[in-house]
Amino acid sequence: MRILVIEDEAKVASFIRRALEEESYAVDVCADGAKGLELASAGCYDLVILDLMLPGLPGIEVLKTLRKDQVSMPVLILTAQSQVNQKVKGLDAGADDYLTKPFAIEELLARVRVLLRRGSGEAAGVLQIDDLVLNPATREVTRGGRRVELTTKEYALLEYLMRNAGRVLTRSMIAEHVWNQDFDTFTNVIDVYVNYLRNKIDRGQDRKLIHTVRGSGYSLKAE
Amino acid sequence: MPLRVRLTLWYGTALALILVVFGGALYAVLTHGLRDQIDRSLEGAAAVAVRAVEKHGIGPFLPFEDLAAEFPELAVLDKTFQIFSPAGKITIQSPNLGHQDIPLSPTALASALNGQATFESARFQDGSTFRLLSVPIRENGVLVNIVQVGTSLQPIEEMLHRLVLVLLVSAPIALAAALGGGCFLADRALRPVEAIIQAAQRIAAGDLTQRLAVPSTLDEIGRLAATFNDMIARLEASFRQMRQFSADASHELRTPLTVIKGEAELALRRPRPAEDYRLVLESTLEEIDRMTRIVDELLFLSRTDLGEVAIESLPVRLDALVEDVRRQMAVLGQEHGVQVTVGSVDPAPVLGDELRLRELLLNLVDNAVKYSRPGGKVEIALVRESATARLSVTDQGIGIAPEELGRIFDRFYRTDAARAHAKKGTGLGLSICKWIAEAHHGRIEVQSTVGQGSRFTVVLPLTT
Repeated sequence: MRILVIEDEAKVASFIRRALEEESYAVDVCADGAKGLELASAGCYDLVILDLMLPGLPGIEVLKTLRKDQVSMPVLILTAQSQVNQKVKGLDAGADDYLTKPFAIEELLARVRVLLRRGSGEAAGVLQIDDLVLNPATREVTRGGRRVELTTKEYALLEYLMRNAGRVLTRSMIAEHVWNQDFDTFTNVIDVYVNYLRNKIDRGQDRKLIHTVRGSGYSLKAE
Repeated sequence: MPLRVRLTLWYGTALALILVVFGGALYAVLTHGLRDQIDRSLEGAAAVAVRAVEKHGIGPFLPFEDLAAEFPELAVLDKTFQIFSPAGKITIQSPNLGHQDIPLSPTALASALNGQATFESARFQDGSTFRLLSVPIRENGVLVNIVQVGTSLQPIEEMLHRLVLVLLVSAPIALAAALGGGCFLADRALRPVEAIIQAAQRIAAGDLTQRLAVPSTLDEIGRLAATFNDMIARLEASFRQMRQFSADASHELRTPLTVIKGEAELALRRPRPAEDYRLVLESTLEEIDRMTRIVDELLFLSRTDLGEVAIESLPVRLDALVEDVRRQMAVLGQEHGVQVTVGSVDPAPVLGDELRLRELLLNLVDNAVKYSRPGGKVEIALVRESATARLSVTDQGIGIAPEELGRIFDRFYRTDAARAHAKKGTGLGLSICKWIAEAHHGRIEVQSTVGQGSRFTVVLPLTT
């Protein structure tokens, strides 16, 4: 899952980035409204965290322009402006959520999970394909009721695959969303990690869930 | 008691008093006039009777008709005539008395003996009242006859009675009508006041966007409403300013709080190496310093607002101050790769508070260094121009856009470029500089070109 943080206060942006990275999201930070709009419009983000008071272009204008251009990824406004009318203005402009500073890190992470869940049509807070279950809140993964232990990267890769279950995901898409990298030489690493995942999830199971799509990439689905 | 009722009551009381005085006076004047008129007519009748009696002399049993035949004025029905002998005995009587005697009073008889006429009023047992005039007739100084002329007072008494009735009935009606009318008029006159009260109540409840409807006629009420509106508009503006100020203040304080809270929470999420904790604590201290600076500056500004900051008025050598500040700021300049220099310096004695003036200059130079690019130059200069000292700080930094020049002295206002360039500013420094300059009866000016630099000039009056 790739998240764009548009925030001009360097220290705030920095700890948000670290917190999100610890949750194995891929994070980009931008301190300027106009540049942030450019990045968000390019469209390879699953979520945008947006400050309102920004140099370059006010956050509210960034949001309005995104929505006018039919860019529909979830947007969470994160600002020091706590008046009700500001919140209403932000939500009406197309924001999906509004959090005021100072905020609790855990709350920010929970709201991020909610917004990402909404994007993937998942209802109960857990992702489930066949008997494979992933809980983003606890970061627990089970296959057929049996606990599966994953490393941070393996988890991030699995979550991305499960949120996009049924779709064919190219190696470069995976690199961008999971590793925050976009060069092709990285694809070897992806193949390695997909193999790790296969060993932990599909090995010894009758029904394989992770499929290689020859010449394209990978797909996770129940057949 | 509402003003409307009070006005009406005052008005009613005044009118009632006027009516009473007027009615009383009318009654008195009319009574007096009518009496007088009756007395005059009695005198006329008595004169005729006296002439008649003197002409004929009074024989015994001279019938009244004979007298009346010669003096027809005596035969009027509303006058009675009696002629008495000096002893007080009736000798002749007009027929309209119907043989009812009116006795001659002892007073009248006594006056007659002295040769004087007497007016008197008499009331009889049947309730009728008479006005009587008794006139003595004398021959050679001896009383020979007394002529008594009378007339009933009943007509004028009836008339006066009716007047009283009319007054008693009409006065309350007039008073009631006047009260009603007065109340109506007071109500009409005060209705705009009522509207103003209601609008003012809504405004008092916190809705400062309300305005009073100003009547098109510019009378007292209209002027009152216009004055009110003017006042409310200014209140609204200063409230808006205050809200903006406190919103800005809370925003500026929230940012360091957000950093402290966020970094601490993040650090506590899992065990980390000691170095990580050290970094968090360092950052926390940095943010606490920032908050302390903001709070100090806010307190200072609010004390200036309350007029609690005293400014000394002692001789200050600005030229010495310039050199001092240069030396102090040279270190900061080196850190930023900026050269702090002093240009031409004229001796410029001013009266003021050296500490505050130093703070002012330090602030300006600090800004100049912060917004300069490495390799840039900051120059402090002091020149005399007529009766002023012009203390200027010139940099080759990022500059300020023309549309932002007017606002940089506003509290918490920071240009986007300033925010991006130097994160540590509080947005209050220039507000404080402006206050210090003005507290010294001077002013602060700024010229700037984006990308080329700015010059801040403090203009202070020289000691005369």
